Amino acid sequence: MAHTVVLLCRCFGEIDGVVDLDGIAGRLREQKQDMSVYLLDSLCQEDDGPKIETLLREEKAREVVAALCAGDRGYHPLRNALRKAGIGPSGHATVDLREGCAWVHRSDPAGATEKALDLVSMALAALAEKEPSRDVTTAVHPSCAILGAGPAGLAAAAALAGQGIHVHLLDRADRPGGMLNLISKIYPEDDDGKSRIDPFVREVEANERITFHPRSRVTAATGFAGNFRITAEGPDGPFRFRAGAVIIATGAGIFLPRGLYRYGELKEVITQIELERQWIRGTPEKKRFAFIQCVGARSSERPYCSTICCPSSLKNAMRVVAEVPGGEATVFHRDIMTPGSVLEEYYRRTMEKGVQFVRFREDDPPEILGEKAVEAVRVRDAGSGKEHVLPVETVVLSTPLVPNRDNGALSALFRVGLDSHGFFSETYPLHPLETRLDGIFIAGSARWPVSSEKAVEQGQGAAMKALALLGRDRISALSLSRTPEEKPGHGTVAENACTGCGNCVAVCPFEACALQERDGGRFVSRVNKMRCKACGSCVSVCPNGTMQIPEHNYRVTAAMIRRSFSA
Amino acid sequence: MNAEKNKQGLQGGEKKGKAGAPSPKILVFACRWCGGIGAGRAGWKRMDLPVSFRVIPVECAALVEPDAIFRALASGIDGVAVLGCHIGGCRYNEANHAALKRLELVKVLLDTAGIGGRRLLLAFGTAHEDHQFAEVIRNFHEFIGKEPSLKPWLGAGEDIFLRREE
Amino acid sequence: MMTISHKSMEEIRIKARELLEKKDADGVLALRRGEEAVVAPHVFREPGEIGRLVTEPKWPLAKTAMRILQSSPRDFRLAVVVRGCDDRALVELAKRNQVTEENIRFIGLACTEEQAGRCLCERPYPRTIHGGKPQPGVHFLQDERVSSLLEGDPAERMARWAAILRRCIKCYGCRNACPICVCVPCKLEDDVWVEKGSIPAEMLVFHLIRAFHLSDACVACGACQEACPVSIPVMALQFAMRQALKDRYGYEPGLDGARKSPVLKNFLEEPETGKDYPAWITHGGTGHE
Repeated sequence: MAHTVVLLCRCFGEIDGVVDLDGIAGRLREQKQDMSVYLLDSLCQEDDGPKIETLLREEKAREVVAALCAGDRGYHPLRNALRKAGIGPSGHATVDLREGCAWVHRSDPAGATEKALDLVSMALAALAEKEPSRDVTTAVHPSCAILGAGPAGLAAAAALAGQGIHVHLLDRADRPGGMLNLISKIYPEDDDGKSRIDPFVREVEANERITFHPRSRVTAATGFAGNFRITAEGPDGPFRFRAGAVIIATGAGIFLPRGLYRYGELKEVITQIELERQWIRGTPEKKRFAFIQCVGARSSERPYCSTICCPSSLKNAMRVVAEVPGGEATVFHRDIMTPGSVLEEYYRRTMEKGVQFVRFREDDPPEILGEKAVEAVRVRDAGSGKEHVLPVETVVLSTPLVPNRDNGALSALFRVGLDSHGFFSETYPLHPLETRLDGIFIAGSARWPVSSEKAVEQGQGAAMKALALLGRDRISALSLSRTPEEKPGHGTVAENACTGCGNCVAVCPFEACALQERDGGRFVSRVNKMRCKACGSCVSVCPNGTMQIPEHNYRVTAAMIRRSFSA
Repeated sequence: MNAEKNKQGLQGGEKKGKAGAPSPKILVFACRWCGGIGAGRAGWKRMDLPVSFRVIPVECAALVEPDAIFRALASGIDGVAVLGCHIGGCRYNEANHAALKRLELVKVLLDTAGIGGRRLLLAFGTAHEDHQFAEVIRNFHEFIGKEPSLKPWLGAGEDIFLRREE
Repeated sequence: MMTISHKSMEEIRIKARELLEKKDADGVLALRRGEEAVVAPHVFREPGEIGRLVTEPKWPLAKTAMRILQSSPRDFRLAVVVRGCDDRALVELAKRNQVTEENIRFIGLACTEEQAGRCLCERPYPRTIHGGKPQPGVHFLQDERVSSLLEGDPAERMARWAAILRRCIKCYGCRNACPICVCVPCKLEDDVWVEKGSIPAEMLVFHLIRAFHLSDACVACGACQEACPVSIPVMALQFAMRQALKDRYGYEPGLDGARKSPVLKNFLEEPETGKDYPAWITHGGTGHE
């Protein structure tokens, strides 16, 4: 057994006030092992790191057990010391003697001491069985594929190109801009719709690093972070390229409220987008506008708020009052959603400009009256319970953004998940704009209905996240961890033992396992180490122990169980 | 410092709880996230817990293999708890779903054999706060303490696996 | 007048002969009654041999079929006379890439009611039947021996199983006979969980591990029990788990080659009956903003 150093931290009395560390040290030293035991007041103070590093070097330590607080989870100085002393993840084990022992067993110091000795013994036994995972590295292709040239995609493209990354920007339309091409004015600035994206569009045209592929869509995608291989179909036929990262910014679709509020039956019942089209052509002719919110949203089929419809209605209502001579606007709503100080101010301004608001209940929606044309809206006010009939000429329906119809196909291509509504889902928790697969990011309404302002923010955010990957020459599989440390290993197959049953392939949440055929028709599992996250799902379903995570293989668990009550 | 009291702890022999009654042996697999966080929080709050449990930290509850659970129960460990994240909250992309299904099925086999599925406690998401972790541990400790010993089952087996350092 | 089993034997022979005559199969694996009435599995090559093909007694052939296919050329087509359990076993083996269904021609034999009662089989017939008539199955709890093993007071149950398993001599007969147990090396032989050289202390963990490895793959063929030299009712360990899979996921091993075990899939792909999840539980989304 390699020379082991055991570091017992007194934690300034927090641990050894309850646990008899001296006794434990004595017991450990009695064991006939090549082991040195140290008792230290602390392991985390500023000068502790170098002190420990020196100690480990002098001891020529190959393996280390550190018994300390639970605080080693993150940037504990001990980790640095271990790394500098050349001890990798499979060469050390930590034991939580503070939160996990001393602090919860203060009323039973004898029991706590016994437990502490057991925990240290478990760690020593585990260490003897830990093995290192073989790491692989891959070159990172310094380019990014951005799907969708709306505000999110454009902002991302500009940000990345500005950092020296080549960008392949694809869009189904023949020009960039996405849904903003259909919008006359944006909120809250009330500026021209294109103002948000003009600088980005100019960047796309001017910057050589950005290649814009109009009328193109992705047809195949393979690979992994740093090395995606994308096949796309464009107006001139198929084309292929490599990308180190992918940003999905394909936006969302618009819900057409057929059958709701007599849309399709009366031509004056229109959607917000149709109103935008009217503004683009010129001032609308009709004067009396009704805006109805939550049409087909916040319902049982679509139980979400689409976030942009209320501000859009406020914007258009104010425009009616300001630009249409004699214009009047009433907003019929279930709630007005205008979070934040800017939008709140926008809402107040709308009220000040004379726009009326009537609240209705979900189970008692307004009714559109009129035989051949819109004549009035009948509504029951939710507050007073009184029914009103308001004469109107145009009814504008606020409908939600809905997932694009080909989200399903795209998600299958890239193997990223969709949420229960059909939008691309980010990985949980605390990792916005990232999908469950490294190197694939999402931004804008593809992820969730957002305003163009937020889409730009997210596009830039996704670009920065992509840059963390694309800025490196090479990445190693063990470094692809979302936590501040290294990945704790990856699934490793003992090829001769694999029966090819495919359980690991079926269970892996990251689709990191695949069966490869060998001579004689045998199948053997192979782990894509870049995709593997070491969750251990494969290990638990492997029938004969072929699949292991070397740093926590089944001998480690067995050894720990053995020693768990051995004191 | 409680030097004298502490030294008692290292004398070995049958484990005694505070009142002198034999203490159950409980093995806890805690995932690094919800499980471990709950345990850590219980520590910060200085909650008082029985000493009957030992924690094996795992990256995700998905790594807990049924074979380990059988081994533990067949070796004189009286109860096994697996603490994982709540369904919908696994940072390994729903890895805990299959884990939960698998462990629920382990309970069925334990029931068949008469060992009792209740000796396997599954706390997915119900132990990520300090009071929750404490409650889970205390309740399980109390429950296991009342269960009949597995000794008759084990024949000569219970000392073979759980042993001291050779 | 033909007995039921004689009639079904004739029907099977007709199908076997047909497959060989039309060269739809290169061999037929079935039981052969040789000289001195010795019955053993045999690969029939010529239609003329079929006169010696018999279908009794029950003899699980799935594992033998697998071994033959694995040691034959890639294009070898093997017809197999399968009862329900063999049929299911081969489907499970195909799922695990031990055989390919393309190389197999199933000649289906439905078991008699009597046989179903002996095996306590709930599905005594294969997917396609060429011989015999499908009988309704028997539920395992209908047998008093099984119900007494599985029901009642847990402590008594435990004591009963302890006494039964103490007979075990770790001959590995159950593992060797089981059509699904194909792993080499086998976890029961490496000394990580199961200690070597200690009988009878380790029998509990040996059998629990084996039973659980088969939890979603056992096809209830009974080969394990038939192989056991000390008559341990090994299959009884599986019953409750099989029932749980049926109740929770509507899953029965061996019926659908395209459906992998629901225990390998998350709740969105393979939901559990009676478990209700709120709409926000997704492939990782939490609901935004």
